[in-house]
Amino acid sequence: MYVDNADRMYRFAQRLCGEEEDARDLVQETFLNAYRGLPRFRGDAQFSTWLYRIASRLCLAMRRRRKGEPQHELSIEEFIPTSDGELRLQIPADGLTPEQALANKQLRRTLRQAIQELPAKYRLVLVLRDMEGLSAKEVGTVMGLNERAVKSRLHRARLFIRRELTARGMGSGALRTEKGG
Amino acid sequence: MSRQENSQKVATKHVKRTAQQAHRHSKAGCLKILQRLSAYLDDELTTDVCKEVRAHMGACPKCEVFLDSLRQTISLCRHFDAGSLSPAKKLQLRREIQKAISRA
Repeated sequence: MYVDNADRMYRFAQRLCGEEEDARDLVQETFLNAYRGLPRFRGDAQFSTWLYRIASRLCLAMRRRRKGEPQHELSIEEFIPTSDGELRLQIPADGLTPEQALANKQLRRTLRQAIQELPAKYRLVLVLRDMEGLSAKEVGTVMGLNERAVKSRLHRARLFIRRELTARGMGSGALRTEKGG
Repeated sequence: MSRQENSQKVATKHVKRTAQQAHRHSKAGCLKILQRLSAYLDDELTTDVCKEVRAHMGACPKCEVFLDSLRQTISLCRHFDAGSLSPAKKLQLRREIQKAISRA
């Protein structure tokens, strides 16, 4: 169980928690819970889906205990730009592949911070769907939601990240400067 | 004017009119489109609704810029690589888990 799934769960935990220590704690708790709950695993979902579900529940519980954790609901209306400056991403990524753009430390840090500022229930959907590559149906199974709710949360999460990347402008040419040396 | 040129002209007029109609909106019109952008980018909309979104984009440059920035955002998220466990840390974590299991 551990050998086959440790890398996947650590990657998932890193994306969710942002910090290495928190990620290690989450992975440890996940496998411990999985070991204890193994007799109850019915095999009606993939084993990895079951592990994602355990990790997601633990993450939500850990976040609820944490002070200052963002928990508010996100409404579509709050993401409508009010000025032209809020329309474009304030990152000069044009002409770069996503991999080239993400080679920039400042962009990676900005993106990681934006993900961490998402309320946990939105962050989980974004990480599972857009980063771990699960289908909307699989995300629904992990989180106990129907597909419609998954898609609604995913859309709000993406709009949130877009707005944060726009708001935390990195300064003109930042990516190209680093890329060039 | 040939029959073909005439029908092309009519079709162009129709597209322009559709775009103008679609852009006869205020904040509410853009909001309606904004609500559908993820589904549009994930290719989950019906053909008719897709056409509606495209017509709006053709007539509303701001929404088009917004759509492009959302597309970029999703692409960055999809390519955002998380750190990985080194073999030593993986082994250490495994031992910690085994220790915790044996204590339980």
